[in-house]
Amino acid sequence: MALRALRRVAVSLAPRCPGRGGPFPSARSAWPQAAPARSLGTSALLFSARKFTDKHEWISVENGIGTVGISNFAQEALGDVVYCSLPEIGTKLNKQDEFGALESVKAASELYSPLTGEVTEINTALADNPGLVNKSCYEDGWLIKMTVDNPSELNELMNEDAYEKYIKSIED
Amino acid sequence: MVILLSLKNCFQLHYGLKIPAAGFRCSANTGLIIQSVSSDIYQNLAVEDWVHDNMTLEDRHVLFMWRNSPTVVIGRHQNPWQECNLKIMREKNIKLARRRSGGGTVYHDLGNINLTFFTSKKKYERMENLKLVVRALKALRPQFDVRATERYDLLLNGNFKISGTAAKLGRTVAYHHCTLLCNADRFLLSSVLKSPYKGIKSNATPSMPALVKNLFEEDPSLTCEIVMDAIAAEYARCHKIDHCITLINPGDETVFPGINMKTKELQTWDWIYGKTPKFSIRTCFNMVYKQSLLEVKVDIQVKHGRIEACNIDLPEQWLPPAMCSELEKNLTGSKLCPSETAALASTLLRVCPQNYELHSKWSLLCETVMTLM
Repeated sequence: MALRALRRVAVSLAPRCPGRGGPFPSARSAWPQAAPARSLGTSALLFSARKFTDKHEWISVENGIGTVGISNFAQEALGDVVYCSLPEIGTKLNKQDEFGALESVKAASELYSPLTGEVTEINTALADNPGLVNKSCYEDGWLIKMTVDNPSELNELMNEDAYEKYIKSIED
Repeated sequence: MVILLSLKNCFQLHYGLKIPAAGFRCSANTGLIIQSVSSDIYQNLAVEDWVHDNMTLEDRHVLFMWRNSPTVVIGRHQNPWQECNLKIMREKNIKLARRRSGGGTVYHDLGNINLTFFTSKKKYERMENLKLVVRALKALRPQFDVRATERYDLLLNGNFKISGTAAKLGRTVAYHHCTLLCNADRFLLSSVLKSPYKGIKSNATPSMPALVKNLFEEDPSLTCEIVMDAIAAEYARCHKIDHCITLINPGDETVFPGINMKTKELQTWDWIYGKTPKFSIRTCFNMVYKQSLLEVKVDIQVKHGRIEACNIDLPEQWLPPAMCSELEKNLTGSKLCPSETAALASTLLRVCPQNYELHSKWSLLCETVMTLM
């Protein structure tokens, strides 16, 4: 439910914030400068719509750099985040490597890298405001940015529809 | 009745749970109760790591019971300088450990019982586990007023904390562990869990201090063994398994392949101190030198437990400025550690002019700076 609501909101907000990583593919095509959604191949280096892992991380790729965060399902399950432990810039990660942890009132929970790559940026705003992960998990609450060393790994991740189906199946 | 089994007579732990009832003399298909023979915090924390990393617990549960020799255990994202009195701990040989779960700082000794409830992520349910403990205690002593709070503490008589909780969610396994004060040294607990360090600014997760009490103070006939047995009995009843506790040796690589490496990692300086979130120390000291009071201002940035930058402000000309900046320069990059600072200070002393007054001022300054650590 929360995911669907987010999509409606994101579509209406999109034209006001061009160039930000995040909104859904359908919103992107409304922007004059946005590249059309491309099939994966060499062009995956440049752009990919948001994809999800079965551990509830998401990654969206723009100009060869992936932005990583946790899904709305994950942030709800986690509860209020009180601390974000993120890696150093330059850390090399293999797909599924643990890259950090989120501590919430519920538990400490590990974060797993969706792809193989190198960390290029971390969200320093989370140091003083870890709650951003809850408030804005797809926008301001992003966790790290990383290079995409093996673009074919993106094929192994779920697109939004597949992820929504996946959540339903585990929520039974 | 408790049947204590040695794991040497059974198949390896992970096989025992993957193949129902294989090798174990008790019905291990839905649950298992294990108890550590070790009182070493690092070995026991390594057992948790091992189970977390190596087991799949689809429809199975494990209860792990353990006790430690005097130790302070901080949460995953905490700052030991902010949470405890490292000086007293060093003097009294009390260990410091950082666990992988979240939560606050606790003091363990053999009068405290640790319980770890392992489940699949789906079955992770802290309140259920705490209710189990409450039922066990009430079965032992029906007159006890013990209840769980919203914060997942256990309170005795409505206002004394006897148990605190922390948890970790992994790939497939989750664990919830908690303490239980039976007969711990409450006075030592209060003194080590009080930080003397001033001026710390940090975004590390803080602890919530609480009044504590031991179950033993309500009823001196209670021992840790009796309480552990009662909890095991209640766990066995809930999960419909035999009431038998399997003793485990956390140092045994044949049962827990790879565990000794996990134990080693938990003991490293880089894990215990180096994992401290970035913080700063900004404070003023008063030093007494030859009957005059001198003010020293200190501003230190600490990252990964090492001094990233440091500034020491002394009264003008009290020490040659070159000496002070030498100290600052050498402290940068070194561990926030009194023994490392002492070594550094005496090395620097050797290269400075042999002047008694200078040496005594230098020693005083360094000792003062070391009190921060």
